[in-house]
Amino acid sequence: MTNKQQPILLLPTNEDTTGPYFPTYFSDESYEDLTQIHSGVIAGPTGQHIILRGSVLDRNGKLANGVLLEFWQANAKGIYRNPSSENHPDLDPWFDGYGRLRSTTGEYTYRTILPGASKDRAPNITVTIFSDGINRIVTQIFFANQKANEIDPLLKTLSDQDRKRLTAKYEGPSPDGADVYKLDIIMAGDNETPFFDDFLS
Amino acid sequence: MTRIGRQLSIGKTDNTSDQRTPRKRLRLIPTDVRESFVPVIPAKAVQRQNEWDLTRIAQNRPRAEGSPIEVKGTVRNENGTLLRGALIEIWNANHYGRYRHVEDHSGLKLDENFFGIGRVITDEYGNYRFWTISPGAYLARPDIGRWRPKHIHLSISCGSSRLITQMYFPNEPNNASDPMAVLMGDSFDRNLGKPYETIIPEVDRGYDFDIVVGGKNAIFFE
Repeated sequence: MTNKQQPILLLPTNEDTTGPYFPTYFSDESYEDLTQIHSGVIAGPTGQHIILRGSVLDRNGKLANGVLLEFWQANAKGIYRNPSSENHPDLDPWFDGYGRLRSTTGEYTYRTILPGASKDRAPNITVTIFSDGINRIVTQIFFANQKANEIDPLLKTLSDQDRKRLTAKYEGPSPDGADVYKLDIIMAGDNETPFFDDFLS
Repeated sequence: MTRIGRQLSIGKTDNTSDQRTPRKRLRLIPTDVRESFVPVIPAKAVQRQNEWDLTRIAQNRPRAEGSPIEVKGTVRNENGTLLRGALIEIWNANHYGRYRHVEDHSGLKLDENFFGIGRVITDEYGNYRFWTISPGAYLARPDIGRWRPKHIHLSISCGSSRLITQMYFPNEPNNASDPMAVLMGDSFDRNLGKPYETIIPEVDRGYDFDIVVGGKNAIFFE
C-alpha cells in the first residue's frame, strides 16, 4: 500500500440491511450462470464449467432465507475485468466475472467457469452477502485440490480450520460435464466463516 | 498504528441481526491481494418504460394510493467523484406498509395501482430522480410493538462502487427505535431525505437525498 492516500472529502451514506424483500423482479438469469452470455445464445467464455453450490446458514444452523449473493472472479486465464486490465490481451470477450443471485431458501447454486490463478493467487471467487439484519459481508471461496492453495497469500494468513471453511469440496462432475463444488457459508457462530473487511482495509 | 478489521454490531431487538451478524472481528485484507476483492460491475441498463415513476404501474394508469413524492440527488464516492450511469434499484412498501413480494406475509393491504419496484440510471452529472408513494410504516415486531419507520430501499451499482442502503424520513416517531438507525448513531442524519417544497403539481413534496458510496472499493481504481 502506498502511504499517499487520497484525501477523504465526503462522509459516506450508511450502509443498511437489505431487508427480507429484495425484489425478485431484479433477478437476471445471465448473472446466475456465467457460462453463457445469455439464455439461448451460443456464446460463452473459455474455461472449465463449474457449479458452486451450498447453503448460507445463520448462527443456529438454519438457512438464511432471502440472501442476495454477489460473485466476482477472474477469467480462465486469471485476468479480472477491471480498470487496470482494460487492454489486456487475455481478457475474454465473453466474460465479465460478475454474478448475482437472490436465494429464496438460503441454498444457492451458481454456474460459472473455474477462475484461473491470478498472479500468485490460488483460483478463488469473492462472495459478497447482502441480507436482512446485516450490512454486506465479504469472503473468498477457494477450490479443493488446487496446488496453489498451499501458497496463496490470503489463505496463508488463516488457521488450518479457517482455510477449510473457505475451501469448496469437490463433489464430482454433473451430468452435463460441469465440476460441482460445495461450500456452506456460516454467517455467525462457532463454525463461523472468516469474513474480510473490504470497507476499511 | 496497528489496524484491525471492524467488529460488527448487532441491531437491538432485531432477531435476524442476532442470527446473521458475524461474531468474529472481520479480517483485514492483505495489501497484496486487495485488488481481488474489488468487484467491478459491468454496466447493464435494464429498465421498462417509465420505471422512474413508481406512483403508477404504467403511464395513463391511475395514481397509487397515498402521498406521491419526488426523491432526487447526486451519487458520488468519498473522493467526490460523480458516479455517472450508476444503476439505482429502488423498492418501497405501499401506503399501507405492504411489499409486493411473495414472502411478505404481513396481510397488509395491497394497492392494485402500486408496484413499488423501479430502476433509474444517474445522468452524466451523477444526478438521479424518481417519484414514488410515501411508504407506510409497518409493525415489524408485534410481540414488542416495534415498528419499522417509513423507508425507501436503494441499491446502487456502478463499477467498483456498491451500496445497499435505505432513505428514511425526518421527524418520524419510529426512527428512534429502529435497530439499524440506532447503530448508525449521529450519522443517521446522512440517511434522511431532506424535504423541500416543490411546485410540481404531480407530487406533494420532494426529498433531496445525496448518496455517497463509502468504502475502499469505490475509490480503489482512482
